[in-house]
Amino acid sequence: MEMGLSLERRIQIGFGIAVAIIVAVGAAALRSTEATVSSARWVAHTLQVRAELEAGFADLIEAETGVRGYVITGDTTYLAPYHSARTTLHSRLAGLRDLTADNPAQQRRLDSLETLVATRLERLQWTIETRRTGGPAAAGPAVIGGRGKELIQRVHEVITRMEDDEGQLLAQRSATLQAKARLARLAAWTGALVALALAGLASVLVGREMAGRRFAEERLRLLVGSVRDYAIYMVDPAGYVRSWNAGAERIKGYTPPEILGQHFARFFTPEDVAAGRPAAVLHDAAAEGRYEEENWRVRKDGSRFWADVVITAVRDDRGALLGFAKVTRDLTERKRAEQALRASEERFRILAVTANDAILSADARGHITYFNPGAERIFGLTADEVIDRPLTTLMPERFREAHRAGLARYVATGEGRVIGKTVELAGRRKDGTEFPLELSLASWKHGADVAFTAIIRDITTRKAGEEQLRRYAVQLEAANQELEAFSYSVSHDLRAPLRSLDGFSQALLEDYHERLDDTGRDFLQRVRAASQRMATLIDDLLSLSRVTRGELQVGDVDLSALAAAVAADLHRSDQKRDVTFAITPDLVARADPGLMRIVLQNLLGNAWKFTGKRSPAHVEFGVTAQDGRRAFFVRDDGAGFDMAYAAKLFGAFQRLHATTEFPGTGIGLATVQRIIHRHGGQVWAEGAPERGATFYFTL
Amino acid sequence: MHDRSILLVEDNPDDEALTRRALAKNNIQNEILLARDGAEALDWLFGTGAHAGRPAAPELVLLDLKLPKVDGLEVLRRIRANPSTRLLPVVILTSSREEKDVVTGYGLGANSYIRKPVDFGQFVEAVRQLGLYWLVLNEPPPRPDAA
Repeated sequence: MEMGLSLERRIQIGFGIAVAIIVAVGAAALRSTEATVSSARWVAHTLQVRAELEAGFADLIEAETGVRGYVITGDTTYLAPYHSARTTLHSRLAGLRDLTADNPAQQRRLDSLETLVATRLERLQWTIETRRTGGPAAAGPAVIGGRGKELIQRVHEVITRMEDDEGQLLAQRSATLQAKARLARLAAWTGALVALALAGLASVLVGREMAGRRFAEERLRLLVGSVRDYAIYMVDPAGYVRSWNAGAERIKGYTPPEILGQHFARFFTPEDVAAGRPAAVLHDAAAEGRYEEENWRVRKDGSRFWADVVITAVRDDRGALLGFAKVTRDLTERKRAEQALRASEERFRILAVTANDAILSADARGHITYFNPGAERIFGLTADEVIDRPLTTLMPERFREAHRAGLARYVATGEGRVIGKTVELAGRRKDGTEFPLELSLASWKHGADVAFTAIIRDITTRKAGEEQLRRYAVQLEAANQELEAFSYSVSHDLRAPLRSLDGFSQALLEDYHERLDDTGRDFLQRVRAASQRMATLIDDLLSLSRVTRGELQVGDVDLSALAAAVAADLHRSDQKRDVTFAITPDLVARADPGLMRIVLQNLLGNAWKFTGKRSPAHVEFGVTAQDGRRAFFVRDDGAGFDMAYAAKLFGAFQRLHATTEFPGTGIGLATVQRIIHRHGGQVWAEGAPERGATFYFTL
Repeated sequence: MHDRSILLVEDNPDDEALTRRALAKNNIQNEILLARDGAEALDWLFGTGAHAGRPAAPELVLLDLKLPKVDGLEVLRRIRANPSTRLLPVVILTSSREEKDVVTGYGLGANSYIRKPVDFGQFVEAVRQLGLYWLVLNEPPPRPDAA
């Protein structure tokens, strides 16, 4: 508006200047015209003076000529010019006196002219008298005499001088007149041009201003119309909707045709309508000029949104209420976010309050700003006792200097040794006792300042537990070493007597064959069989104990290739058997290759063994899915087993078949289970008597 | 002296008897020098102790690992450390099948590692192959005393 005022002002000033110039030009032109008229009058005056003078002179000459004719002829008719000249000359001279009243020099000359004319007329009168009385002879000299001629000569001189004088005046006045006329023309043209220019300028300015206003109005209309985040609309003083922008359509859901002319009360909730809020709101806005509130409003589809509403009364220059401008914003998301934030804050507050660990915050100076109940319990200090006290209060003396240095370094350089990590330190309780603690320290920017949050756990119990665990580990290590020594001893020393039993039984059978009867030889054979069976048992036991020792050497193992190799070994061991192995190719798993070989040797070996009474027999190695994991399996169509005993399968020395039916020690599946468990996998079996068995394992 | 002999290092008399029997059954006639423990085995080889001044130069050593006094692996280490016995063929003949023993034995320069089977028939077969290989087929290294 300021802009418009100043422009209006400019236009007013421009028009004022234009009017002033036109008035000035008009005045100048008027004055110039008047001057021209007066100059023209003066020119006419001069010409009149000269005409009068010449006419007078002519009258005088005519009178003289008439008198001369009378003198010669005595005819009085010749005297007519003389008589008329006497009248005319008198009036002419009087007229000239009037005409030259403003010119003293001419008046003076007129005086002498009058005298000369009078003298001449007297002389002519005398001549006429002389003729009448004395006849032509007497009058002749009077006519011809030099005196008359001299007078005329002088009259002529005076008239000539007066004419010259008037001529000069005429020249002067003509020059003045021309100058003034030029000036008037110039003023008129200049004024007209300036006025034209000003009028043009004003028209350009006004045109531009009007275009600008049209543009501004259009822009404002587009701007308001295209705003989508705010509902911007107008209602008339009675509350009926008169305009509707895109934001209003988006937020409230009504298209312009649906809502224009409708009462704005429909945006209020039924409760608010019942409470008379729509009218009250307009009343307040009209009274205060502006009304603002945050409240629930209703969309076209009946859903509610949390609205920020600003209502501004719109009045004309005279203060009459034209309507209300309403700007509404949908703050539902923000309100939800605020509620979520409050809920989140509450959750974290409860978390901090109920946490078993100590949770505390400190500012950049290392002064405690928050101390939760867990911290109170762990340190034996109340929050009131430590808030605003340095963190060093909570540390044994020997850690304090390092803490101060570390804090100073972190604040100065941002380099922290314990920030973002979990470290074990010692804490100091109120009573001065120390305890081991685990500290997780985090820092964050609090405005320009750095702040810290620490989570501290009293690990006294854990430390004791760890110490206990460490002792157990040492004991276990010792026990393992003992076990190893034991195993070694078993493998050596238990086998040696068996060799003797077998060897000397054999020697007896060979060297004393003749002295032994069949029963004696049978007994010796039993001794040999028993000692060899015991040797197998020892070997299997050692193998079982071996799989639980040593590190797992995990790599990619081609189980299919391994199974094929084991199958080939089995075929070589007994070439009379007709067993078909169906091995799914390219089954690769992460496992210990040596141990996986033992697993497959046992499982395929079992399949081989328990299909001993089938010909042809089928053994399959493949993979299936079990709870989203790969389960490898070995399936045979052999003797199978009763599922009722499935649980016993994997126990050491457990057997479901008589040794005479199928040989074995009952240790193989126990070994398989240990290996699979060491890999974190599971092993189980399915089967039915005489219907074959399937062994599954995962890794 | 003791030409083409076999040094049997074995503390168990039963095993000694069985080994002798297995050798005999395979017609291996070489003289058997017996050491009851590791120390005696070293005395035999380096001419110390009971065998002072007359070191044996057997064609083959059959070495048990678990021995009184000085154990078998230590005996092997000393054999390989001494220039006069450095190239001597040593076959470890033991009850142990511990991988650790096998690896250490080969690491110290054992020429073979044979586990004594409990089944005497298998043992006889093992000794037969052993004798065939080391005493018949194998070209022995040049003898230090003959060189």
